[in-house]
Amino acid sequence: MNTNLETIFNEAEKRYLTSDELGAVGQYVDSLPERLGLYRLLRDQEVTLIQAVADQLEQDHRGVSVPLLEQCIKSGVLALRSCALTMLMMDDNHIHERMTWLKQSQQTYQSQEIDASFYRLLDKQLNASLNPQQMALLQPSLTVVYNTLGDRARSVEVSENLSVSSLF
Amino acid sequence: MIAVADLLLDGRVPSNYFATNVYVTSDLELGLLENRRGSRLLAIPDHFIRALYAGLDQETGQATRLVLMNCGRWWGKNFYARFCEELSEYYEKPLADMAMGDFIQSLQQCWVTHGWGLFELDQSYQHRGFLLIKTWHSPFASHAPKLERPVCFLDCGILSAFFSQLAGRELGCVQISCESMGSDCNRFLLGMPDRLQKANEGVDQKLGYEEILQQVCA
Repeated sequence: MNTNLETIFNEAEKRYLTSDELGAVGQYVDSLPERLGLYRLLRDQEVTLIQAVADQLEQDHRGVSVPLLEQCIKSGVLALRSCALTMLMMDDNHIHERMTWLKQSQQTYQSQEIDASFYRLLDKQLNASLNPQQMALLQPSLTVVYNTLGDRARSVEVSENLSVSSLF
Repeated sequence: MIAVADLLLDGRVPSNYFATNVYVTSDLELGLLENRRGSRLLAIPDHFIRALYAGLDQETGQATRLVLMNCGRWWGKNFYARFCEELSEYYEKPLADMAMGDFIQSLQQCWVTHGWGLFELDQSYQHRGFLLIKTWHSPFASHAPKLERPVCFLDCGILSAFFSQLAGRELGCVQISCESMGSDCNRFLLGMPDRLQKANEGVDQKLGYEEILQQVCA
């Protein structure tokens, strides 16, 4: 459950909720039909969305082994499912917990480069398939994924390497 | 061409089976801890580990090392059976068919979730016939008596039994660095028992782990 809402409901044990707190609950409830709709869409269109990304990825990386490509796609599926659930629950903690496992998997399989390509393609595919309102709902969790596993993660690693090596 | 639908097992993608928040469930009223299959888990307080060392020392003296090592072996043997059963059921394939990466990652997460600290498999010495395992924050190291030698005998037993069964041949395990002696982590060297003789001698001579590794691989 959304940790912010959980805190609010815990507070309601001893007193009535304030207008601000009720506003936060109302905001979540009002946005729920849209969130449910987007969650269903992502669930039902998952294979189509990811297949388009996978086909392009395979074309762009002909030299990469099939098991590595498959691993990258499976991680991408997990990441998108986590984004969808995070969006539905409006709970950022959920995506952060999931990222630890996927980041570790990326390091185990040394798939930083191929993952970066995957998430670039996924971003294009999502932008082409979802409307701006749907993208806005999904964007916060997607940003976490891109920062952890995509191009932005790589640029952080490179800059860290540069700054460390520049010390010597 | 890769078909995405074929990568999903009945629509699901196996991931972090041992995720702490999913794997361990508790019932405060009954005081029970269970794993995600409903098997009971046992939480051991720090005092118990300290008392285990103190009691064994009083009862068995110098044989404590051997007793703990044998307990670890027994524990490791059962742990391996449960680990394989749970993981192969979750991944819907035998352990032998699992990707090495998924296996190692699951083992690392399993170690964390059971409160045994962090775990890393270093395969740099594999071509020499050895596996090096590093662990951090082991409760069995932090509560052990200071003996001026590595003290994680229980961990040694667990690891030797676990990897012996995985490799399908008898492997020995020697701890060559220990957090209880101020080392950055615990290092366990796994290999054929006769080839670990030099490592045992190095530990007895109080050599550092780097020297021991050099001697063993020379």
